[in-house]
Amino acid sequence: MVTKMVQINLKTKDIHISNLAKLVSGPNAILYKDEDLLAYDCDGFTIKRHLPRAVIFPKDTHEVSQIVKYCAKHNLPFLARGAGTGLSGGAIPLNNEVIISLVRMKRLLEIDLENRRAVVEPGFVNLKLTNSISDKGYYYAPDPSSQYACTIGGNVAENAGGAHCLKYGVTTNHILGLEVVLPNGDIIEIGKNGIPDAPGYDLLGLLTGSEGTLGIVTKITVRILKNPEAKQTVLAYFDKIDDGSKAVSDIISSGIVPAALEMMDKTAIEGVEAAAFPVGHPKDIEAVLLIEVDGITAGINDQINLILDVCQKRNVREVKAARDEAERGRWWANRKTGFGAMGAISPDYLVQDGVIPRSKLPEVLAKINQISEENGLRIANIFHAGDGNLHPLVLFDSRIPGETEKAIQAGSECLKACADVGGSITGEHGVGIEKKEEMRFVFHDHEIQAQTDIRDVFNPDYLLNAGKLFPAPGRCAEVKRELK
Amino acid sequence: MSLPELEKKPACSAGSLGNYLWSDPPKEHKWADCVHCGLCLEACPTYEQLGQEQHSPRGRVHLIKSVAEGKLKVNEVFAEPVFQCLDCRACTTACPASVDVGGLIEEARGQVRQAIPLKGLKAWTSKFFLEGLFPHHGRLSAAGSLLKFYQKSGMQKMVRKTGMINIMPNHLVDMESIMPEIKTPVRKKYKQEKVIKAKGETKRVVSILSGCIMDIMFSDINESTINVLTRNGNDVTIPQNQTCCGALHVHAGDREMGRKLAKQNIEAFKNSEKVIVNAAGCGCMMKEYPELFSDDPQWQEKAKAFSAKVEDISKFLYDTGYEIPKAELKTRITYHDACHLAHGQGIRNEPRELLIHIPGVEMIQMPNSDRCCGSAGIYNLTNPEMAGAVLESKMANVPENVEMISMGNPGCMLQMAAGVQKYGRSQKVVHTVQLLDWAYQKEEDGSGDQDGAN
Repeated sequence: MVTKMVQINLKTKDIHISNLAKLVSGPNAILYKDEDLLAYDCDGFTIKRHLPRAVIFPKDTHEVSQIVKYCAKHNLPFLARGAGTGLSGGAIPLNNEVIISLVRMKRLLEIDLENRRAVVEPGFVNLKLTNSISDKGYYYAPDPSSQYACTIGGNVAENAGGAHCLKYGVTTNHILGLEVVLPNGDIIEIGKNGIPDAPGYDLLGLLTGSEGTLGIVTKITVRILKNPEAKQTVLAYFDKIDDGSKAVSDIISSGIVPAALEMMDKTAIEGVEAAAFPVGHPKDIEAVLLIEVDGITAGINDQINLILDVCQKRNVREVKAARDEAERGRWWANRKTGFGAMGAISPDYLVQDGVIPRSKLPEVLAKINQISEENGLRIANIFHAGDGNLHPLVLFDSRIPGETEKAIQAGSECLKACADVGGSITGEHGVGIEKKEEMRFVFHDHEIQAQTDIRDVFNPDYLLNAGKLFPAPGRCAEVKRELK
Repeated sequence: MSLPELEKKPACSAGSLGNYLWSDPPKEHKWADCVHCGLCLEACPTYEQLGQEQHSPRGRVHLIKSVAEGKLKVNEVFAEPVFQCLDCRACTTACPASVDVGGLIEEARGQVRQAIPLKGLKAWTSKFFLEGLFPHHGRLSAAGSLLKFYQKSGMQKMVRKTGMINIMPNHLVDMESIMPEIKTPVRKKYKQEKVIKAKGETKRVVSILSGCIMDIMFSDINESTINVLTRNGNDVTIPQNQTCCGALHVHAGDREMGRKLAKQNIEAFKNSEKVIVNAAGCGCMMKEYPELFSDDPQWQEKAKAFSAKVEDISKFLYDTGYEIPKAELKTRITYHDACHLAHGQGIRNEPRELLIHIPGVEMIQMPNSDRCCGSAGIYNLTNPEMAGAVLESKMANVPENVEMISMGNPGCMLQMAAGVQKYGRSQKVVHTVQLLDWAYQKEEDGSGDQDGAN
């Protein structure tokens, strides 16, 4: 860590900033100039932008607690931020919040291989955990595509998923304990010592995925897993997207649980092949499946053969297995950088995150295609097909007046299509700002009320990350619109 | 807390854009590729150190775009993140859409330097080195002679012994201590020879960029470059009217001087078929000359033709075929990827191949070998604190059990040598072609001169 950068003299009339600055140690631990704050006006969701009041960088739990106590006492809105790679706007300061950035709390505190757990600070980057233990034969399972940069604290807030959650579950299935600073500044520990199924309410489950509205996580005990003995990865190219979709359903119903089962459609393939990590997918196919199976060496080949059979029955054009780890790595890089790759074919994109029953894939994809045509915007589909988690990427150009609004509309219609077939409006990206109105597609008023009642217990003054996750109560009638 | 509303300003010149008031502003098509996904964050050495968005690639792109949109002005607060960037290009490698952050940064620096000209000592130093010294081979050569005198006359010993050295800032002391032994520049040495003939049959005729600092501080590497080229059937010419490549100027925001030097080089090498470069920073700059002439189609065409001729020595040897040396060097080495070779030119495998095929050379891979060392042109002089922090992380990755660290860029060599000295390590810092040359020499006369850098 650089000890002193440019000497910043606090030149501010905002007394709260001067006071907050005294609560943190370390160089440049508070930002408050407009030019610096501008870089914090959004996260990975760029459609809504707001400037924070300040950004503050605590180095430990005590400092977080002091900051929160100060904000609570003086009625200052505040929120926590990790790497800012979230896709639903959870870290956007809608109310001119003080942003508490946790990136300086990035230590790996403990590795306990015997009990298969690790303790990290919230700013610790997801992929670094696997990198720190892979030489010993272990890994951390949740692998969101942003894992190169996103923090485990952010993963807890959003209950992040990833390609391999089909078999291994999402973040909540891997959290054993949390230290949390409550919105009044008190520090509590839940899931003590990582012993599962503690008595009392399941606060771990409640906090994980609460999108930073119930408290600020400052220490996390996670489960780590032994590397599977063997794995095999396969690419399957389909001329018809319907065949690809049906193959997905068939694979799961054949009894196999792949470690990952990913799908990309034609527009998505165009994007990833135009971007930095092309692997040579044919341009004239309608769908590619990326399938990975893992487990003990003995059963792997049988599983692969069964998958090949299924694909053949669904008229697959070509199937190939990764020749080595390097090729497997290239295929995954191609898939995992898929969202960012859209930059190569479109100036802006809006990613949606619907979930549907797998059997409805062909129907919903057809509907999304129709939405695309009606709105005059291209929609690429990159998704975790195995668990029915769709990511329609609405491509647009924010410089063209009206296009942003159209993109939001198209995204919302995609979610409606998912909800209509008995699905959900988010699989792993969270609700944030983006999908809060769409919560009404899946919950009735009294069901939303039951949840905001819980929020009010933790966050009674509603200073922490307000305006996220749930639709504003006053606007019930207005938002209860039916999309045409 | 609100930012100034979109202000419509009278354009000062034809090419202005938003609050960029001068021609050649950062180009819209470059930032339009960025969708703010954040996959660049962990690739960035300054973000690693500071953890702040404005010191991250996507944060910088966001700010650069905001100036064009009229939300920000080109002022000191904007200048800080723009100049804190190492221009190492690691973000472009990490980026799914290959956003040209380096190009945007260089263009933004051009605007900053026109909006806020340097003042006082900084202006003097910059003018002295970038305008007065680097572009002038004669003056550089004279400076080299002075340094040589400093080393040979006993003055260096005296300065170190008497403590006079302590009046220098720390980072300059570090630099002084690793200054390589100054030898005769190749441009001077071969001035009378129009062509340095290939040993054996001539297969190709190539020209070399002798470089500014390279030829003064590291003329032995130029010597080695000539040796390995001639040894592999290449006639070598050193066009005498060539000059500094301009990379340092462009990095510092002086694009006008960059264009001037580019034009001189384009002219100087107009009869050359290949321009071989042994300094990654120079090679990358010269491949990017067309970027400097976005407002000048005529020169842009010439620049494109020129850039197509530029090649790094390691890739050139690897691609054209070279003779694998027969003598054994018996050494254990590691390899550092210079940013402007790996990220800037995509050359990673070729130098490693050259090295591991030298008999007796054992290669231990360095973790994060393509992480910047902090040299970044003259960044280690302008931003010594950050450069020092970046170097510290780099040195922690240098394997303990190697005797040499090989690389393809003189700036990195000075910085890494400073790191070796500072952290009490023992490795010798060498250029890839030096190892190859030593192996050839050993084969020829059974010796192998290894008194090169360090």
